[in-house]
Amino acid sequence: MIEKEESIISEEEAAQYDRQIRLWGLDAQKRLRGSRVLLVGLRGLGAEVAKNLILAGVKGLTLLDHEQVTEESCRAQFLIPVTAQGQNRAQASLERAQYLNPMVEVKADTDRVETKPDKFFLQFEAVCLTGCSRDLMVRVDQLCAQHNIKVFCGDVFGYHGYMFSDLGQEHNYVEEKPKVVKPKTDESNDGPEAKKPKVDPNETTMIKKTASFCSLKVALEVDWTNEKAKSSLKRTPVDYFLLHELLLWFPALLHHSSCGSHSLCVPRFSPTVLLKFRTDKGRDPHPESFEADATLLRQIRDDVLEAMGLSSELLPHDFVSYCFSEMAPVCAVVGGVLGQEVVKALSQRDAPHKNFFFFDGMKGSGVVDYFGPK
Amino acid sequence: ALISKGPPYRKLADSLSACRVLVVGAGGIGCELLKNLVLTGFKNIEVIDLDTIDVSNLNRQFLFQKKHVGKSKAQVAKESVLQFCPTANITAYHDSIMNPEYNVEFFRNFMLVMNALDNRAARNHVNRMCLAADIPLIESGTAGYLGQVTVIKKGLTECYECQPKPTQKTFPGCTIRNTPSEPIHCIVWAKYLFNQLFGEEDADQEVSPDTADPELTWNPADTEARATASDQDGDIKRVSTKDWARSTGYDTVKLFNKLFKDDIQYLLTMDKLWKKRKAPLPLDWLEIQKLACPQEVTGTGLKDQQVLGVAGYSQLFSRSVETLRSMLADKGDGAELVWDKDDPPAMDFVTAAANLRMHIFSMNMKSRFDIKSMAGNIIPAIATTNAVIAGLIVLEALKILSGDVEQCRTIFLNKQPNPRKKLLVPCALDPPSANCYVCASKPEVTVKLNVHKTLVLALQDKILKEKFGMVAPDVQIEDGKGTILISSEEGETEANNSKFLSDFGIRHGSRLQVDDFLQDYTLLVNVIHCEDLEKDVEFEVVGDAPDKAPTPPSAQEDKNVANGNKDSAEPSTSSKGDYQTQSFEVSCFVTAVGAIISRSQPPFGPNR
Repeated sequence: MIEKEESIISEEEAAQYDRQIRLWGLDAQKRLRGSRVLLVGLRGLGAEVAKNLILAGVKGLTLLDHEQVTEESCRAQFLIPVTAQGQNRAQASLERAQYLNPMVEVKADTDRVETKPDKFFLQFEAVCLTGCSRDLMVRVDQLCAQHNIKVFCGDVFGYHGYMFSDLGQEHNYVEEKPKVVKPKTDESNDGPEAKKPKVDPNETTMIKKTASFCSLKVALEVDWTNEKAKSSLKRTPVDYFLLHELLLWFPALLHHSSCGSHSLCVPRFSPTVLLKFRTDKGRDPHPESFEADATLLRQIRDDVLEAMGLSSELLPHDFVSYCFSEMAPVCAVVGGVLGQEVVKALSQRDAPHKNFFFFDGMKGSGVVDYFGPK
Repeated sequence: ALISKGPPYRKLADSLSACRVLVVGAGGIGCELLKNLVLTGFKNIEVIDLDTIDVSNLNRQFLFQKKHVGKSKAQVAKESVLQFCPTANITAYHDSIMNPEYNVEFFRNFMLVMNALDNRAARNHVNRMCLAADIPLIESGTAGYLGQVTVIKKGLTECYECQPKPTQKTFPGCTIRNTPSEPIHCIVWAKYLFNQLFGEEDADQEVSPDTADPELTWNPADTEARATASDQDGDIKRVSTKDWARSTGYDTVKLFNKLFKDDIQYLLTMDKLWKKRKAPLPLDWLEIQKLACPQEVTGTGLKDQQVLGVAGYSQLFSRSVETLRSMLADKGDGAELVWDKDDPPAMDFVTAAANLRMHIFSMNMKSRFDIKSMAGNIIPAIATTNAVIAGLIVLEALKILSGDVEQCRTIFLNKQPNPRKKLLVPCALDPPSANCYVCASKPEVTVKLNVHKTLVLALQDKILKEKFGMVAPDVQIEDGKGTILISSEEGETEANNSKFLSDFGIRHGSRLQVDDFLQDYTLLVNVIHCEDLEKDVEFEVVGDAPDKAPTPPSAQEDKNVANGNKDSAEPSTSSKGDYQTQSFEVSCFVTAVGAIISRSQPPFGPNR
């Protein structure tokens, strides 16, 4: 639980945060200032979220990433200097991240997130997982929810991206609404009209609300075979399905690779798909064999859809070609929405998006949808 | 770059490295946009911004650090980008895009122009330049949590000026001078007062009681008579406020009593005004001093968010007048100060004067923080909104460069999802408006004004430049002789400025051909002579929406962003940036959000 610090905001903070304090208020800024956040993954999406949270003025941000900087990832992310090849990604991002806002404590951690003990996560008010496997996300979410830590997940695959949030069963927040003002009569032209008593149209009031979120595990346990779900699927446009179904069930299927210039998605974390691929091919998918691997991935997609009892026509044939690596503008959009959700949750202000956001960069459409128990 | 070099994208990747693009503005959207462009693979980028870095930019303009405050935004942005992408070829201009150096030929160098602006004048100008050069333009804006992106392509889509945008909200003189009912009226009054005392005196910025208030009489002829009488009256109102103040040595007590006691007492004699309104209560300096008690610094809020009492604001008034007086004296003879929200004594002065007036008129006083928002037209801004919008801009850019301009959309960013669950709402682009006064083939407008009372200078500045967005107009009268009324060459027609239009034979039905050569824009202006325009209204454009910004009914929730309270009534007298138009500028651009939210418009058919 974030306790509002009864402390003074310094002159420096007031000056720097002026334009956002005018938007979300001083209370919200103080809550941000008391929050520590863990950010896992410093690829393109991670860098965007890091920037957004550091600029917002959280107390501390820990950058966690065990991967090394490659030639490609140098050009992929604006926090890593071009000279940083071979360094750890979090470490390499640290300096420029800190420069964004010296008032935030930015740290780098080079461990694998899977090796972190449970108690590691307890020091944070919010945890944000980017580019992680489903199993890891489910595990961390389960752990954090017990301790009232807000959990966010997100990923970007070519033109598409998504974010998920679990703010716990009882997330309290406020909404600022304008005070109901008596309508003024217009002055008529032919004489002085009574003006109503002066009510400041700018006056607002804070309304307290509560939202309840389910775990990622539950959110993913959507049974698409029942008739009700199937019928709703018919009314769902194709791209919607592509976004939320495929990404949810097979995040790693579409995951970018950190090797080579043909950034074909290398499924690394989805045991089902990778296992199938390995079984069929005797190796992992490789950029050099883009064509063949793409074909196989499509086949796997078809097989899986069939197993789900859904038609393979639901996905456009060229979905794979849309799903190369991370695209910077898509990272910016998803990172912006995700960053703002973290800010809202920590500051306990404004209605959070519940519980998924899907972005289709081809269409420019961004949708908030709920998956979980009614 | 993050565009994969896999087969479908190689062609696109190549054209990205080759093409030249122009980014206009290196602020909130601009910083995010530059970052996205280089990470996506754009190599040749030119960026222009006339502004320098301020500490209040640092919460979102992430290419800048504290050590850069005061430096050129364009220049520092370029340097920061080169840090993470040394191979990018970036040219930075610390300059105004409206400088004639950036002519149509300059714009033709680019495959694409992207605006990241905060004011209407520049947007109008770039719109015209891109039309003239026939280059696609991506336009965008943000305010708080809301944002919008759209694409402008000559002949294919609406141009920026196809839809009339609601004009800046102005308040009638009598509301400001006699019967304020909202804090904003008092704030505008205080800014006028600043100019009258310390700045450029403006006949449209009177602060003294208005005896020609139409409310004072039922008889229009009577009003006219009073107006004439007060013009001819030799009493204190004829002496300029500045001269009067100077004659008293800017004595703060005399000033206080004149503004907050004597003038209020005068207003009270105009009893018609107070029949149905709460009458103002005059203040007295000595009485207030007696009440004065030390102000406690309360709580944990920002210092600026404290609301002082009457005594506190009287003190503040007195101190700020002192400071401003000496600043003026230091500048020498004939000097003028320019109001700037970031200049502490100027801001103190407006805070104090506005609050005293609010108190007199029974309004709750406001903190310096709140007054600064209103007086300075501050638009709250955060990094994430700009990040999203800048991402969308690049995605639209990619569509244009792949030759898929028919895939382009206007995209709105909402604060909350609409009933169709959309947070980002793409909408089809509209075709050009047939009678757009900018992009139609032979654009014409009709203007109502009084030919005997409109100066040539007013035509140039208020109508052609301010209203019709021209930068350097040339005006010819279609009188068979091709009489040149205004020349954009400096000095050539200066002698005409102080003459009335009628002096040149302009009358009802006259036509003026107006050219702006820089914008490659010709507009035909039809003149309608009119003698009964509303008070304080110098001209009217036929076919325009009325001055009050129309509020779409569903935009009520967004009232705090769109047109309402953040707009100032008057042109900002600050020289630092165009805050006046920034606020409603962005809000106009974004104002459709309210309508879009409630419109259940499916942008795409089921097959998409």
